[in-house]
Amino acid sequence: MARRRTRWRRNNVLRHALHRLLLAIPVMFGVVLIGFLLMQVVPTDPAIVRAGPAATPDVIAAIRADLGLDQPLTVQFGLYVWRLLHGDLGTSIINNVPVVQELGATIGPTLELMVASLFWSIPLGILLGTLAGYWRGSLLDRAIMALSVAGVSVPVFFIGLMLIWFVGFQWQLLPFTGRAGPIWTWDGIQSLILPAVSLGGVFIGPVARMTRTAVLDVLSADHVRTARAKGLTERLVVTRHALRNALVPVVTLIGLQIGFLLGGAVVTETVFSWPGVGRLAVGAILSSDFPMAQGTIIVLSLGFIIVNLAVDVLYAALDPRVRGA
Amino acid sequence: MSAAIETTDEPVAPPRPGVLARLLRDPGAAICLLLVVLLIAAAVFAPLLAPTDPYDNDLSLAMQPPGSEGLPLGADAQGRNLITRLLFGLRVSLLMGFAAVLVGGGIGATLGFLAAFYQRWLDGPIMRLMDMLLSFPAILVGLAIAAIFGPGILSVVIALSVATVPLMARIVRGSALVVMRLDYIEAARATGMTDARLIFRHLAPNCLSAIFVFATLRFGQVILLGSALSFLGLGAQPPIPELGAMASEGRNFLFFAPHIAVIPCVVIFVIVLAFNVLGDALRDALDPRLRF
Repeated sequence: MARRRTRWRRNNVLRHALHRLLLAIPVMFGVVLIGFLLMQVVPTDPAIVRAGPAATPDVIAAIRADLGLDQPLTVQFGLYVWRLLHGDLGTSIINNVPVVQELGATIGPTLELMVASLFWSIPLGILLGTLAGYWRGSLLDRAIMALSVAGVSVPVFFIGLMLIWFVGFQWQLLPFTGRAGPIWTWDGIQSLILPAVSLGGVFIGPVARMTRTAVLDVLSADHVRTARAKGLTERLVVTRHALRNALVPVVTLIGLQIGFLLGGAVVTETVFSWPGVGRLAVGAILSSDFPMAQGTIIVLSLGFIIVNLAVDVLYAALDPRVRGA
Repeated sequence: MSAAIETTDEPVAPPRPGVLARLLRDPGAAICLLLVVLLIAAAVFAPLLAPTDPYDNDLSLAMQPPGSEGLPLGADAQGRNLITRLLFGLRVSLLMGFAAVLVGGGIGATLGFLAAFYQRWLDGPIMRLMDMLLSFPAILVGLAIAAIFGPGILSVVIALSVATVPLMARIVRGSALVVMRLDYIEAARATGMTDARLIFRHLAPNCLSAIFVFATLRFGQVILLGSALSFLGLGAQPPIPELGAMASEGRNFLFFAPHIAVIPCVVIFVIVLAFNVLGDALRDALDPRLRF
């Protein structure tokens, strides 16, 4: 009986995951289609670009046939999806490097930056939100909430420029341009600090706010009243009974904020010349490097959809109400 | 008929007289309202207030610090009067945000009303489409549209509008579904009103507070996003004065003349903060049950 129930539960999570995956497929298809159409509307002919300035019309025609550009649009789309599935995103117009290669080199630094900023901002945001929720209406609550509104209103490049000006330039404490090395080296860590502080800085506000709301909800719940009535210490009530339950919605909401984090990352990378995907994408758009722009946008979108999907499934697996429903 | 109108007060409170009074009771909100009015006035009357032309440059004044003679906020790297640039920049930035909220919010609200009103056939398709749009973060929409149309103000406005549509559609649909369940809609329908009249006369007015609160909060976010896109070089192109673009230009001179970058950043911060605080206060004053 018990085993049967477990299997049922797992099936529910599985069914939920499958449902979300089915919903995500048309979205992914849409991303790929938009990426394909992007190349159709841009004014450059990839065949001419690839052939170079001195090419004869015959050579251009040969390249066009080779790339499948003389085929109808639907066939071209099929070819494009086929190449995409084989990891071929084309070649940069500017420096002739395969897009996949550039993406491979920049994804690591971007993930590094995102994880490093979440690493300090989420615990701090949860702490501030819990304090604010627990002492609701107090001066502390008001101060934390004011800080959080200010946090969501400040442009991330403002924080970045201020850190560069004070910490990097005036006090000369930390490097502020580029990535000095991999994360496991001392130089790498040093160069990561300022970008991670900037990006995390705009993330504390939303996390604190969401935690406060969740804590307020939980503190008025029956099981917390029971815990208090049992004579548990206040600390145990808050950490064991309130916070633990409040964290489930917070985890999901943090997952939903990944898009916000991504936006901040693109700006932060530009401010600190951090060699990530966001900076690559912006540089590609500004220099009209269409294959590179297309590749970065597709990969960023797909990555975002996959992360959202993972968060959603994780939430279902974590929350007993969804799991057992 | 009068009884039917009274019941509308129940689920979603429409703006009543006294909203302003309740809003002003909160000192923070009162200050922010004043700030918003002043900022909008400064933007509208920029040509009258500005001492010089925003494109006039005098290289002998380049990077003059704030407080120099005739330059209360200093000059930028090309020797253009920063206060003039700021006033006109405010104009461009606010206009960009306004256009995006108006276009994106308008389309979103229309879709939301249609989804709620024709729930049987339109709700599913419209909301699935909105879910798809929602799965793109605003920054990616901005990058994609800048890649297609090229960097520029129009690209930013399109991107911000596209990113606003699904959010507004969701909120309006939610609000309209509550109203649709009320008796007075049924009563109005029984009088033989056309659908369009029902939507415009009875449904829409009762969703206005939700729309208004969301638009205010969204305005702040849109300004923030728009300035970020311009900062990246994907929005307003130099020499157009726009706050994000000005901050980006000033970035190159950060170590010699920090005011060129800092002043536009502070102005962006103040605008967004004012709209965020005002939006929160407006929500509490209009209907504390609204929560986005």
